[in-house]
Amino acid sequence: MRDRVEDLALAGPGILLLALAFVLPIAEMLGLSILGTHRELTLEHFIRFLSDPYYLGIVWRTIYLSLLITAICAAIGFPLAYVMARIRPALRLWLIVLIILPLMTSVVVRTFGWMVLLGRGGLIPFTLWKLGFVGRNFTLMHTEAAIVIGMVQVLLPFTTLSILGVVMKIDRRLEEASRTMGAGFFATLRIVILPLAMPGILAGSLLAFTLSVSSFVTPSLLGGVRLPVVAASIYDAATKTLEWNFAAAQSVILLVGVLLALTPYIKLSGRRHG
Amino acid sequence: MVKAVPNTLRVFASLFVALTLVFILAPLVVVAGVSVSESQFIAFPPSGFSLRWFAAIFDSNAYVQALITSLKLATLVTVTATIVGAGAAIALHRRRLPGTSLLAGLFLSPLILPSIIFAIGLLMLWSATIGPVSFWALWIGHMVIALPYVIRTTLAVLADSDPFLEEAARTMGASRWQRILYVVLPQCVPGLAAGAFFAFNISFDEAVVALFLRTPDLVTLPIQIYNQLEFSPDPTVAAVSTLMMGLTVFLIATLDRFLGIQRFVGT
Repeated sequence: MRDRVEDLALAGPGILLLALAFVLPIAEMLGLSILGTHRELTLEHFIRFLSDPYYLGIVWRTIYLSLLITAICAAIGFPLAYVMARIRPALRLWLIVLIILPLMTSVVVRTFGWMVLLGRGGLIPFTLWKLGFVGRNFTLMHTEAAIVIGMVQVLLPFTTLSILGVVMKIDRRLEEASRTMGAGFFATLRIVILPLAMPGILAGSLLAFTLSVSSFVTPSLLGGVRLPVVAASIYDAATKTLEWNFAAAQSVILLVGVLLALTPYIKLSGRRHG
Repeated sequence: MVKAVPNTLRVFASLFVALTLVFILAPLVVVAGVSVSESQFIAFPPSGFSLRWFAAIFDSNAYVQALITSLKLATLVTVTATIVGAGAAIALHRRRLPGTSLLAGLFLSPLILPSIIFAIGLLMLWSATIGPVSFWALWIGHMVIALPYVIRTTLAVLADSDPFLEEAARTMGASRWQRILYVVLPQCVPGLAAGAFFAFNISFDEAVVALFLRTPDLVTLPIQIYNQLEFSPDPTVAAVSTLMMGLTVFLIATLDRFLGIQRFVGT
């Protein structure tokens, strides 16, 4: 009994912090989303959001861009993680450091880098112009392509590290057995490695999707005001037009979407850890 | 024995990894490049070499104020999140509390739940109960985000620790307080140190909670950069960004030097 009291005292400050500053704010948001102007219960904010083609367009853009971003991250992340798992440990450590470096750099800074690269006269439009693909004043800024490029760079480290964790645990003898039995390199990759790595690929993709649908800084700066995503719409309602109940309702919709993606993620990563 | 990987494939794989690294690192290199350019326009590749944009940071009151705010905030968050996280991790590791796995899930959930959702909730709750947002709101918000990192790194270290050490201390007559202070905490140190590094880095770089909770008097460095990017970026932004990257590199190098980074990567 005294053991429990001791442990409760140890964890107490943390529990208190999360209860007051994490659980309660989310509860407050849920509450506000169903309150009308005279504090009556209403679903008007949800109806307003889900019946307006403008907002539905934002939702649709957020979802399909996130799906695209997630797919690209998985398509690059899997081969990258596989190569990293099969090279010398010293080299692998270097690659991990080089991947963590951007991961630990502020999203604002990384997005700024893309603004320079993609903007008018930036290295990428300039190269495309020199190669004769585009006109002189071509810019990639404020396009969906810019959002995708910037977001893939932000999320690729997450996906890669998540897949790497699983690929590292695959028994190399399975691969050798497959090769000895006559399967080629690619057949082995497809029949042996890919299915075994699938939990990691799925977990990494679900995490990337979650982060992508809720990201704000990169899509706002690279996409501009004419290509808003859900997070930008929430931000505008919360800080510019000050429609808090409407902002709360949008956050609840985002939260529901995120939880739908996170439920299989938690199952996958739970199985992996134990 | 069959040849494991065909040679052409090895070349292709190296090329693929190299291109991916270029893609991942490109924005960082570009920012660093712009910061040392002589030109007063943002241009990459840079023309000439000059450190005047770094000097310009310290002439700008807005940047200096933001830098001070960010350093104060990140330091406070690091200290408090490490202390609170240490207690939570020890309690979670012992698994004696009822519902430990549920509690662990709660403690780690800010890692996977996007911060925008909780940032807006915090803004609304703070405004409804306490009043206008302040430095302390931001402190609380960053604590919530940083805490799971401290807990995770400390739990990882505790998982490798010897459970009988504490038992031995108890048999030898050490009190509860002595056992925690002299037996358990020393074993946690590498995890706490790594967690503290992550906490500092997260608080110093974080932009979403800080954006929702910003006031004219409460602007962190990432938010100051964000403001500049929205309106008129000049090479000073690049210099500030480069300073932030330098700090990150320093933190990663220190972490790796003393503790080995591979232990704490989420693989």
